[in-house]
Amino acid sequence: MKRFLPILAAFFLAGPVYAMDNLTLSGYLKNETSIRINNMNGDLTKEKNIAELAGEYKIKGDELVFFTKAKYWYDAAYDAREKLDQARHYMGHVQRTDWLRDCYLDYTTDTWFLRLGKQQVVWGQADGIAILDRVNPVDLSEYWLPDMQDIRIPLWMANINYTPKLNSNLQFLFIPDFEQSTSAPIGAPFTFYSYTRYNNWKKAQNAMGSSVDENIYFPAKKFENSTFGLQWSDRIGDLDYTLNYLYGYYYSARNTTILAAGAGGPYSSWKVDRAFKRYQIYGSSFNKSFTNPGPMQGVTLRGDFALYKDEPTYIGDPTTASAKRIARWDNIFWLMGLDRYFFIKYLLSVQYGQYILEHGKEKSKGLPPQQQYPMNAYTYGFADQVENIFTIKLSTQFMNERLKPEILWNFTDDNQGRLSPKVNYEIMDNLVLTLGVHYFYGNLYDSNGEFREENQFYTNLKFSF
Amino acid sequence: MKRLFLLFMGLVFIRGYALAKDLEYFQVYKPKEGMDVNEIMQIENFIKYTKFAHDVKMAGKAYFIDKSGWVREKETTRMRITLDRVSDGIAYKDMVMFTSPQVKGLASLTWTYLDPTRKNDSWLWVPSLRKVRKISSSNDDDAFMGSDFSVEDIITRRFEDETYTLLREENFKGYACEFDKKVYYTNTPSYVIECRPKRSPWYYSKRILWVDKATGGGFYEEKHDFNGRMFMTLFKNFEMFNVNGKGYPTQTLLEGKDLGSGHRTVITNEDIKYDQGLSEELFTERALMMSRW
Repeated sequence: MKRFLPILAAFFLAGPVYAMDNLTLSGYLKNETSIRINNMNGDLTKEKNIAELAGEYKIKGDELVFFTKAKYWYDAAYDAREKLDQARHYMGHVQRTDWLRDCYLDYTTDTWFLRLGKQQVVWGQADGIAILDRVNPVDLSEYWLPDMQDIRIPLWMANINYTPKLNSNLQFLFIPDFEQSTSAPIGAPFTFYSYTRYNNWKKAQNAMGSSVDENIYFPAKKFENSTFGLQWSDRIGDLDYTLNYLYGYYYSARNTTILAAGAGGPYSSWKVDRAFKRYQIYGSSFNKSFTNPGPMQGVTLRGDFALYKDEPTYIGDPTTASAKRIARWDNIFWLMGLDRYFFIKYLLSVQYGQYILEHGKEKSKGLPPQQQYPMNAYTYGFADQVENIFTIKLSTQFMNERLKPEILWNFTDDNQGRLSPKVNYEIMDNLVLTLGVHYFYGNLYDSNGEFREENQFYTNLKFSF
Repeated sequence: MKRLFLLFMGLVFIRGYALAKDLEYFQVYKPKEGMDVNEIMQIENFIKYTKFAHDVKMAGKAYFIDKSGWVREKETTRMRITLDRVSDGIAYKDMVMFTSPQVKGLASLTWTYLDPTRKNDSWLWVPSLRKVRKISSSNDDDAFMGSDFSVEDIITRRFEDETYTLLREENFKGYACEFDKKVYYTNTPSYVIECRPKRSPWYYSKRILWVDKATGGGFYEEKHDFNGRMFMTLFKNFEMFNVNGKGYPTQTLLEGKDLGSGHRTVITNEDIKYDQGLSEELFTERALMMSRW
């Protein structure tokens, strides 16, 4: 916090003294508290306090604008709970330069729009599921529970847009920056089971006198290692569509475990390499509202399609949680969503998607049969070749939008999922209280089921200014 | 043959009447002596959607006031461009950007079509997702952004949605505004018009509307339910803006009262600027995508 306060102060206070009319500041203070409700033991799992401040400075009207946003947080639960000590170094406070959420310069003309600097770019129409929304890496230290804008990790990039005709846009992204996606460390409430299993294995090896040599290989900082993106957006009739292409590194490093020396018993030497692999996304998205009279009037349809070319996919033995190699498969992820108001003020939003792996089993003969299965990266469990995914969301409002209940149900065909009811209540103009529950169910080896012991009741209190 | 001729003449008459009803965009109309109730309501509807202006930009404040007098407040910046374009059937486009802290950044884009049977196209910039989301049109009888006004009160009710009867002509007694404690439209010559929805059942059975004879603005209305009970009043103050020598009747204050709950919504429009030459590029998905908040 101390590091960036002087910078903020210098910018906000000293710089624009002569142009206060051009400066807009806004921000919020927020408390997020959550309690684990399994067995009704009332474990405090989060006591996070957040301060965010954003500033917009119009250098030359709307043509040239500087925008920046800083966010600081600390989680007091990691001070109060011994149980969380192991994860405190990462989960207890904001990390490295993560406090800088946005910092860019906008240049706008009739046909050009340039956004240069640290930012998020969002593609696709799916809600809460990243199909085309993969320009930025993600921070999953609280799984997929926070708002997407807080999950995405902003990157330094050039975002160049050109409008050849009304309602169309050609976007080119040049991203020399690289950050890896992150997840919760051991000891946090939402540590992925794959990580726990790997850590258990490592501890077992150390206990037997074996060594585990871990290496991570980041892409070298070179022009050719940059990420490049292209999106064409247009409208045919009343159908909005995009065509997308992304070429860059997969933001999650993939582990491969190799026995370097020994027989795999005591005093063996293991080598675990983590590497980032290049892949490409070919995709498209659309949305259409039915506006003409008829049975579909009032319905909005939307969809995403993505082909992940050469997506690094874990291959190994799910029964022993051992990732043996990384296959480069051409996997497909598609989703369709439908939204409609019914009765007077109830909005129903339904999504169905499929994540389809290119193969059900690795075809190379270099591995024994039990080590040829694609693995779920979250749990090191078996990954279905076709995963069917559903989300249903129902929301409404009462008391002139002062009280807003909502229920979200995410689930897959493996009888696992998450149920998240919540209610927002506007106490005052700038003060909003949220009460909610996250209820996970399913198999320990499934993405949501792995957190079935982490059901939580939470409260958020946000004061905006 | 005679029947066919009568049918043909009937169709010609109906078509001719329909054409005569269409008002030309970008003109200023006022009620005149001898106009029938449909013509008056055409003008009232025309003024409501500022079809006389090429574009308009304004800052707005909405006050949500409950029975006890406790007030919540939201601020917006609003823009509208009038197109009246046959090629894609678009009548006008609206952009509303919220500027008050709690909802800062939230913005909606709405395209309204010339065809009265078509629903609007709407997009939303959602700050928590940082993306543009196509949204389903709200039902016309839903509350407009949590206010006491319905969606159709503000943006979707068309001339074709109701039938009209002129009840009388009178001098309006005056409206005592609870918000600023002023009395408006005292002794104002008015048409009193009964508006009945064509949809049935609908959330109201009739509106009694007072239209200012001088401007054509519908400034006060009382909504009745199916038991004939009045359940809502809606007041609009119009001020005349002189733009390039033309007088534009403009809504500067709206007060809606729910007589059942005692809740009130007040909307004030300030810093109103007409015909500034706003670009249609400001009313696109890309314009939403450029949002910084």
